Amino acid sequence: MGPGGDDEPGLLLCGVAPPRRWCAPRWSLRRYTSVMTSVAAPPPMRTQSKRDLLELSGLSGGEIREYLDMARGFVPIANRPDAGRSDLRGRVVANLFFEDSTRTRLSFTLAAHRLGATTVDLAGPGSSASKGESLSDTARVVEAMGVDAIVVRAKSAGAARIIAGAVGCPVVNAGDGRHEHPTQGLLDCLTFAEAMGRLESFDLSGLTLGIVGDIVSSRVARSAIAGMTALGARVVCVGPPTMAPGGLSAIAPGVSVTHDFDAVLPGLDGVMMLRIQFERHGEGPASGAAAGGGGSGLTGSLREFRAFYALTEARAAVLRPGAVIMHPGPVNRGLELDPGAADASASLILRQVSRGVAVRMAVLARLLGQGA
Amino acid sequence: MLIRGGRIIDPASGRDEVSDVLVAGGLVQRIGVRLDAPAGTDVFDASGCLVAPGLIDPHVHLREPGHEHKETIASGTEAAVSGGFTGLCCMPNTSPAIDSPEIVRFVYDRARETGLCRVFLVAAGTLGRHGQQVAEIGLLARAGAVAFSDDGDAIADAGVMLKVLRLVAVTGRVFMQHCQDPTLTRGAAMHAGGVATRLGLGGWPREAEEIIIERDVRLVGASGCRYHVQHISSGGSVEIVRGARARGLPVTAEVTPHHLLLTHDACAAYDTNAKVNPPLREAGDIEAIRRAVSDGVITVLGTDHAPHAPHEKAQDFESAPMGMIGLETAFGLYHEALVRSGAIDEPRLIALLTIEPARLCGLDAQGLGTLREGGPADITVIDPALEWTVTPAELAGKSRNTPFMGRRIRGRAVLTLVDGAVMMRRRGARA
Repeated sequence: MGPGGDDEPGLLLCGVAPPRRWCAPRWSLRRYTSVMTSVAAPPPMRTQSKRDLLELSGLSGGEIREYLDMARGFVPIANRPDAGRSDLRGRVVANLFFEDSTRTRLSFTLAAHRLGATTVDLAGPGSSASKGESLSDTARVVEAMGVDAIVVRAKSAGAARIIAGAVGCPVVNAGDGRHEHPTQGLLDCLTFAEAMGRLESFDLSGLTLGIVGDIVSSRVARSAIAGMTALGARVVCVGPPTMAPGGLSAIAPGVSVTHDFDAVLPGLDGVMMLRIQFERHGEGPASGAAAGGGGSGLTGSLREFRAFYALTEARAAVLRPGAVIMHPGPVNRGLELDPGAADASASLILRQVSRGVAVRMAVLARLLGQGA
Repeated sequence: MLIRGGRIIDPASGRDEVSDVLVAGGLVQRIGVRLDAPAGTDVFDASGCLVAPGLIDPHVHLREPGHEHKETIASGTEAAVSGGFTGLCCMPNTSPAIDSPEIVRFVYDRARETGLCRVFLVAAGTLGRHGQQVAEIGLLARAGAVAFSDDGDAIADAGVMLKVLRLVAVTGRVFMQHCQDPTLTRGAAMHAGGVATRLGLGGWPREAEEIIIERDVRLVGASGCRYHVQHISSGGSVEIVRGARARGLPVTAEVTPHHLLLTHDACAAYDTNAKVNPPLREAGDIEAIRRAVSDGVITVLGTDHAPHAPHEKAQDFESAPMGMIGLETAFGLYHEALVRSGAIDEPRLIALLTIEPARLCGLDAQGLGTLREGGPADITVIDPALEWTVTPAELAGKSRNTPFMGRRIRGRAVLTLVDGAVMMRRRGARA
């Protein structure tokens, strides 16, 4: 609306009679309006208020507990194909995985099937994504085929939000770049709470979780930090400054950063070991809030990394009784985690995978509007 | 045309008074109170308005040739006159880059055919803007390049930079540096700070800007070339410029509206319209930059008008191109950031938008940037109280990529004269 109060633009451009050195000989209002109407404004971005799960950051402890309460109810049947439910019968969940995944895609597929839904899969290579179609166009096409929810994994941070803004159906972020992986964060909270005997309240106050390794590259770490701290836990980020920059302490209350694993190890109730994500280092991930970019290695050598930050059997022996070992996988045995520690009784790694199905059942059931 | 009863502000001559301006034959004929107009003269009632020399933007991207889907000289100059600008200095990161006298002449021809305001070209300092082989700086200057820059990239190689500065110094032109150390900004998408850490985006640290300015200040000392810091974004950079100016070096700096008003929080929801290079930083940087405008360390304002098409900005944050449009929202935003915040007064704001950029690019020699009898009638009339809301329909340029969409802005040009011709008259704003 122009300042003139009508629907025309409040602007009148006038041509000039003698063409001057720098200006057009004629300029009409008609041309001007046609320029304006030819430009389509991008669709307004939707936010998480639609029924999406894009990130745990910003969710309250109460909201996270609602997911976890529902997931706890699904645990007994999550891994029993004969105990399937029909909550989502007739519904279709589309898995859009623009980036490689094994466990997450299988986990979402199983979760959908356990609830009676069917799934369709679209993977990055060979799909229209590799033919230049944009993320949001691909998502709109998939939605137009009649799916009820979209699960998306993509290489770039914020991709799930773009898709959520483009479609009307619920969207679940299954990992976007280095940003977040919220269902992983929820399953980590569920597993940790269960091991700590907090399964009823999901109140993690008084507990400290160490997250160790390549944190800047890790969407798992960002979701775990958001989820664990919302439930009252403290989180210690451990790694070299290139992987665990001091700025991490500002992303949520209750987060601290240290570069000395051995100093904090005995005080931890759990350690979450992370894989070094070499494939993301070319993108300059260390530059998050650290001293700046640098495309190459974030550590002098793997030998050096192991010396300070691997969970060796010797370090595992220092853990206090009852403390647990977690890893989102895939594990690089002998790098960040020694086989003896990975397979120790304190290790929850396989239970994390198992709880993942229950969590994803809860997320799908909740976003698709069906109670547990 | 007779512009009646406005507050005439011409910082170059120190004039600040309510008066009339009579324009004829492309020239300012008379400035004075209660001027008589010949019969049939178009009279514009400028009471309550500022009457200023035509605004000059030393830093825009009109995208022609090569990226006409984002903007053209026609659409970009249309945005300019809508925003009150009568002169633009266009950066050479077109396709092909403006790095040869032939291309300079071609773009000037296009501007003559399709432009609505004065268009001046900034030529590349190196061939293809690759930062390696020095361009034909002497011939480019002779063809009409008013300044040199590899904008979009810094000349990262210090040896090449020194050669370019020496050659530009001979022409009397200014070198405008896009200050960004590429080795510190690989994979960078936004300011290196808490928001980037939370969003999982690569960070662009202040040091990448400051290191280049520190280095260049030494090279300015060695070459004597006039040197201009484009779109300053860091409080630390301000201190380096302050020191260089205190030592008498010919160093200037410009600031954009967005670096005066927005922080990295604007990126928090992955809004690609807030993705810009250099990135939006933090409140402390804004504070330092406003203070530097206030105390005269920053002397030039430039929008870095950088149009991008909707489908380009609709990509994910890391893939989306950097930049935002600025010509049409600039005046009101500057007024808010600098005048209404108390940093400077209106005459100084007008100086930063007229005579200062004119001097920077040598346009004052053509009588631009000032309002005087007998001079070219490039005049902008601004209603400082006119409020408007930024909407897609309100904008005249070709692209809509601005994080200020939806914002309420106070202060807007209502009349733009270029060489005596009315190129924009805002309907409804004035009788």
